[in-house]
Amino acid sequence: MIRRVLVANRGEIAVRVIHACQALGCETVLAASEADIDSLAARMADRTVCIGPPASALSYLRVDALLAAATGTGCDALHPGYGFLSESETLAAACAREAVVFIGPTPEQIRRMGNKLQARALAREAGVPMLPGSEKVADATEAARIAEGIGYPVLLKAAAGGGGRGMKVVGSAGEMPQQFAAASAEARNAFDDDTLYLERYIANARHVEVQVLGDAHGALVHLGERDCSLQRRHQKVVEESPAPALPETTRHALRRSAVALARELAYCNAGTVEFIVDGDSGDYFFLEMNTRIQVEHPVTELVCGIDLVQEQLRVAAGERLRYGQDEVLLRGHAIECRINAEVPAEGFRPSPGRITVWQPPSGPNIRLDTHCHEGYVVPIHYDSMIAKLIVYGHDREEALLRMRSTLARFRIEGIGTTLPFLRHAMAHPDFAAGRVNTALVARMIEEMKAGAPLAA
Amino acid sequence: MSKPEVPLTDAEVRRIGRIIETLEASSFDYLQLELGDLRVTIAREGVVIPGALAPVTATAPATPPAPATPAPTDPAPARAAGAATTPGATAPAPEPGLVDIVSPMIGRFYSQPEPGAAPYVTVGAPVEADTTVCLVEAMKMFNAVPAGMAGTIAQVCAQDATLVEYGQVLFRVRPA
Repeated sequence: MIRRVLVANRGEIAVRVIHACQALGCETVLAASEADIDSLAARMADRTVCIGPPASALSYLRVDALLAAATGTGCDALHPGYGFLSESETLAAACAREAVVFIGPTPEQIRRMGNKLQARALAREAGVPMLPGSEKVADATEAARIAEGIGYPVLLKAAAGGGGRGMKVVGSAGEMPQQFAAASAEARNAFDDDTLYLERYIANARHVEVQVLGDAHGALVHLGERDCSLQRRHQKVVEESPAPALPETTRHALRRSAVALARELAYCNAGTVEFIVDGDSGDYFFLEMNTRIQVEHPVTELVCGIDLVQEQLRVAAGERLRYGQDEVLLRGHAIECRINAEVPAEGFRPSPGRITVWQPPSGPNIRLDTHCHEGYVVPIHYDSMIAKLIVYGHDREEALLRMRSTLARFRIEGIGTTLPFLRHAMAHPDFAAGRVNTALVARMIEEMKAGAPLAA
Repeated sequence: MSKPEVPLTDAEVRRIGRIIETLEASSFDYLQLELGDLRVTIAREGVVIPGALAPVTATAPATPPAPATPAPTDPAPARAAGAATTPGATAPAPEPGLVDIVSPMIGRFYSQPEPGAAPYVTVGAPVEADTTVCLVEAMKMFNAVPAGMAGTIAQVCAQDATLVEYGQVLFRVRPA
């Protein structure tokens, strides 16, 4: 078993990983930047070491600093959390060289899923449905020619991509030169790689993803799916499990496809296979696979009763999964709202600063994953997520009701938060009816700005 | 260089942590404890302990006299009385007028260019801004740390071949 874990992350996920370690009796060493040296996670960890200045490029993104912290404090494993270096083949390989267990998949698996074109090839081999699209496109002329075959509108995407960067919708052949240039510039800036490819653009698109979990001995299960269609600028805002209003045939096919792809890789550890679902036809297509724990993992934990982070540690230590697919029971419904330090009324501008009032709601079937507390100063250096509020109910209606009343009771002062937007979103009739797609949040924001009362 | 080769077990570190908490909650100023070979002195800040070692300023490199945290060389999680969250908290209190040389990165501290060689600097050594005072190594990359100022080395605050954190005090210099 793993004895001592370097927690190579910050914020709520550092707290979450420490909780999992504590439950398994592992010691924890937190690798913290100067800005996080007095954080909640630092107080919870058995030891904290300062790995660098606040800028992530000089701390959380430094493989050498993390390995020095791990080996210098006698850690036998490293948990990368999400973001930062969680999907870095370099970090996973460096851990292997230093005999530190990387709590995640193998460097090889990270690499094969990291490049989106390679991942598409692998998915095709596994028989997973693919969006009509292209391989690498060289220039705007070639892109326009291929787009004629696929049919407009099309989506230009970065091969190295993620997070919506290097992604552009092209409505017609006339827009292609300009959008191609914009997408490749964005991709070059974000990923230092301007390789683009094309996909058919789906107007009524839903984002549905399947959680998988594999061990090093070939066992692999799925833990159901999550709907993450509520997104603002390609950033998830609300997630839930199971996906609402999804035809049962689609649901089962999605899960089967995810398992088939993970098997093709002999995937070990927790991973997520993302799909785009055409809300009109019910067709689904492979998007990408994330080789890490995800922000929204708690909704899965609540419906399957499995602690995913603890499972990550167990399988990384070489343990076998203690259950087969038949023993994974999914019941009830869970919803998660991400609370960010942003001001919705001012274009969601970031709002760092001191939290003067922090009164979270509590009660049965309410879970709050956070690193914040009264007096905490939300630093300017990192992303704006300050908490994840997750509720559970025996069905979606009950969960939604609980989420509304829980959001209503949450008081945060001193900084701006997205709570007002989340309250609006959770009261929206389209969300209540399960009529979700990736354009819904933009519409909700417009309606909130206009001050239009929500229809019942 | 004479740190006794008796690494504390995690259980011992936890016990010491509990003792510190107990002391903090009590009205006592200091506590001396002998557990077999292990001798621990725990004191409140600013308390002078009768018969205890004076803070190390002249002998270098040496282990600081039992501060409230276990020795920094111990790789075990060692969180005690909030001190572990402050890099360099284990260094003795500075004299007024001294300037710190801090570690530019997390890594292993080496006082000499290679095993068996003389240290780059010892107490009393004159330094210029570009004098190398030590190496900090991470992943086999050795980074030379310059003094950054002219003066004389007054204290060596880190132990050879141990982990130093970003911002941790390595030396104190009396400016020229």
